[in-house]
Amino acid sequence: MSGKPPIGRPDLNRLRVMFRKDGRLAYLGHLEVINTIERSVRRAKLPFSVGNGFAQRMRIQFSQALPVGAASRAEYVDVYLTDRIDAKEAFERFAESSPSALAPVDAAYVQSRMPALEAWLTRSLWQVRLLGTGDDFSASHLDESLEALRGVGHIDFMRGDKPRTIGLDTTLVSWDVADGATEGGFSAIDMRLETRSSNLGALRPAVLMEAAFKRGELGGSVLDSLRVERMGQWHEGEDGSLIDPMAAELRI
Amino acid sequence: MRLERQDRFHELEPLLGKVLHPARYLDHEWGAIEQQDGPFHVCMIYADTYEVGQPNLGIAILYNALNAAEGISCERAYLPWTDMSALMRERGVPLLSLESSSPVASFDIVGFTLAHEMVATNIVETLDLAGIAVRASDRDEDDPIIIAGGPSAWNCEPLVPMFDAVLLGDGEEEIVDVARCVRDARAEGASREEILMRLSQIESIYVPSLYDVVVNEGSTRWGYAVPKEGTGAPDIVYKRCIPSLADTEPVAQRMVPYMGIVQDRFAIEVLRGCARGCRFCQAGMTYRPVRERPAEQVIEAVEEGLAMTGYDECSLSSLSTTDHSQCAQILTALNEKARKSGVRVSIPSQRLDSFGVDMASAVSGARRGGLTFAPEAGTQRLRDVINKNVTEEDLERAARNAFEHGWRRMKLYYMMGLPTETDEDIMAITDTARRVLEIGREVCGRVRKGKNGVSVTISVAVFVPKCYTPFQWVGQLQRDEVRRRQQLLLTSNKDRDIHISYHDSDVSVIEGALSKMGRAGFDVVLGAWRNGCRFDAWSSEFSYEGWIEAGKALGYDLEEIATESFDLDARLPWDHTSPGVSKGYLKREWRRAIAGVTTPDCTMTSCTGCGVCPTLGVDNQIAGDRHVG
Repeated sequence: MSGKPPIGRPDLNRLRVMFRKDGRLAYLGHLEVINTIERSVRRAKLPFSVGNGFAQRMRIQFSQALPVGAASRAEYVDVYLTDRIDAKEAFERFAESSPSALAPVDAAYVQSRMPALEAWLTRSLWQVRLLGTGDDFSASHLDESLEALRGVGHIDFMRGDKPRTIGLDTTLVSWDVADGATEGGFSAIDMRLETRSSNLGALRPAVLMEAAFKRGELGGSVLDSLRVERMGQWHEGEDGSLIDPMAAELRI
Repeated sequence: MRLERQDRFHELEPLLGKVLHPARYLDHEWGAIEQQDGPFHVCMIYADTYEVGQPNLGIAILYNALNAAEGISCERAYLPWTDMSALMRERGVPLLSLESSSPVASFDIVGFTLAHEMVATNIVETLDLAGIAVRASDRDEDDPIIIAGGPSAWNCEPLVPMFDAVLLGDGEEEIVDVARCVRDARAEGASREEILMRLSQIESIYVPSLYDVVVNEGSTRWGYAVPKEGTGAPDIVYKRCIPSLADTEPVAQRMVPYMGIVQDRFAIEVLRGCARGCRFCQAGMTYRPVRERPAEQVIEAVEEGLAMTGYDECSLSSLSTTDHSQCAQILTALNEKARKSGVRVSIPSQRLDSFGVDMASAVSGARRGGLTFAPEAGTQRLRDVINKNVTEEDLERAARNAFEHGWRRMKLYYMMGLPTETDEDIMAITDTARRVLEIGREVCGRVRKGKNGVSVTISVAVFVPKCYTPFQWVGQLQRDEVRRRQQLLLTSNKDRDIHISYHDSDVSVIEGALSKMGRAGFDVVLGAWRNGCRFDAWSSEFSYEGWIEAGKALGYDLEEIATESFDLDARLPWDHTSPGVSKGYLKREWRRAIAGVTTPDCTMTSCTGCGVCPTLGVDNQIAGDRHVG
């Protein structure tokens, strides 16, 4: 598990690495991603800082957990380094030490006095491909079902054997749906979905889709599988503007 | 039928979103050898889930040895969990290897690790899921050659109807010999029968189909194996033994899994074999002689392994790491290097003396969790019977030393059902725990419960007699009697800071039966599998009834089989597959056990005559001077 933020340690260098998660490794869980990235950092021999705590953990912070099975083009990790080695060199060493399906895309030093990634990155854009069967399995029915869900305002669902509720007023930002080309005998719907997270929770595409397909609008259809990819993550400013975590103004 | 070698991951991928822990099936781990050009292909299988099988050091060693051999490639496979295997059967997807996602039934050789007895039904399940005939005698000419080996190969008879060949002893060289033999024979167009004949001529390779089982008045009810006339197969197949561990590749584990596995750390084998001579311990008898890896090689290899894998923990693995003559030197050097990078060093178990505590102290740095000791028996009398050469004073000194070093939780391992055991021996377990607790309270201060955190946990396993030990002739304790003694132990404890846990006596009955049975026992294994038994080593999955019913259907009472004792002069079902330890020595040790006479460790004194060194032409290889407790 990652260490606590080293607040008040300006002597450390905060290296932000943007990485992707795709191919087979989309099926890794968040903890598995954390372990793998930490080992990549060690293999890369980056001069990472170690916490003072009992367990001597690497000082490292990740963006919000990506669901198992979801791919991503934009995941982020902040590694705190004791030496400021050249960011390009750090990137190259990291790339050489990473599995190709969890490869870094960009790396830069960012301001150390910023909130931790997990809480700071509040907006996500998702590309979702739904495969299913049935007469009602269409973009228009899905659209109707999502509208109706938004009207309800929340989703009750189960995580494992525990009941959960997520409000949709803030978490569900927008969506676009279109019928896609059939695939492997299944009908397809393509969706772009924008979500917002807060300390009350994050809306997972699979939870939204499961709820949508339980409704009458999609009653005559069966959802077989979902392919989910996170296309981007941003911080949403108070004025609603979106800030890229690798933006030039954050780099130092 | 041999399936075509082709990448079928696209058939597995749609199932990944529907099963628990999909990371079990992904492959592409850091360090996995993706280039699998062959042209001769071997698949090594640990017949349990990925997270249980992947840390196995034996498979890692064989994987490297085969992939390093010219023209030979080696991949891995594990048994999918029940959710995945059900989906695979439903959609007609056979078991696939990890690296190339090819059907296991397309390989030239498929090898199984016999890690313990309870893996039996999982091997049946693996073959069935792969679409390979379960019985070797039902296989087609071009089917894969199915081989097995590992720590539990010494009585492999109840499983051998599934295997074309069994590899005995150290595998790193013999597996390459086997692969080359099969490859060359195939290239020459040899028949399956001819291939097996050739395999039987290789040192340490047992080909079961070339042996008949004979039952007569000189044997047990399971009989003994004799070579079929004209086959030229040896009467006794002796194990392969690497003379020097220093000549083997020290960095075996190069792969870094994505998912959390049961031993998620870099492991290095620091020594092979143990000569302490504990009379219940099969590994202690079958892995002889003792071969230490020199300190410099260990230290260098750990550094290389950690850099290569990115692990933050390394384990110095062996049957008895603190017996390594250079243990202190190794730990000091590793701790020095590890301190700055947050790397932890661990050793699997501690010797029951002050030296063991000193070593535990050296590996743990500031960490003071629990410390584990294995007195194995409650009284000195019984410890002498089992040749556990530790005294009550050793334990008390070690406990005091540990509490003084800052440990608060002590775990003590024992066995129940040892030969000659009485109620007094059981009660003495709690007495010892109480004394250890008293020492802890004395050292840490006698305060109210929960304040000083001192506690003792007793873990009690059921003793299962294993072949090639001095107790191989003994019957296992009856299930009801085990339960009575477990209750006796429980009720003898009144202190809340002593926690007692014990093993399931049902599992031990099946393990005991599998350890005793001969070749005819395979029908029971097959029956249990047909009754739905899988993952028998998982308490959540184990079905006692499934096994008992399978036995009944064949006229066997499995508990009676497990508890049956054998005549000292009887020919035993496993006499033809030998680790080199002589029967005379085992009989002598049995008589000494009954007389309560102990036998010293030959690496610390002189030869005790077990027969391994002269039989196999090897010797103990000790790097420095061994420290006597």
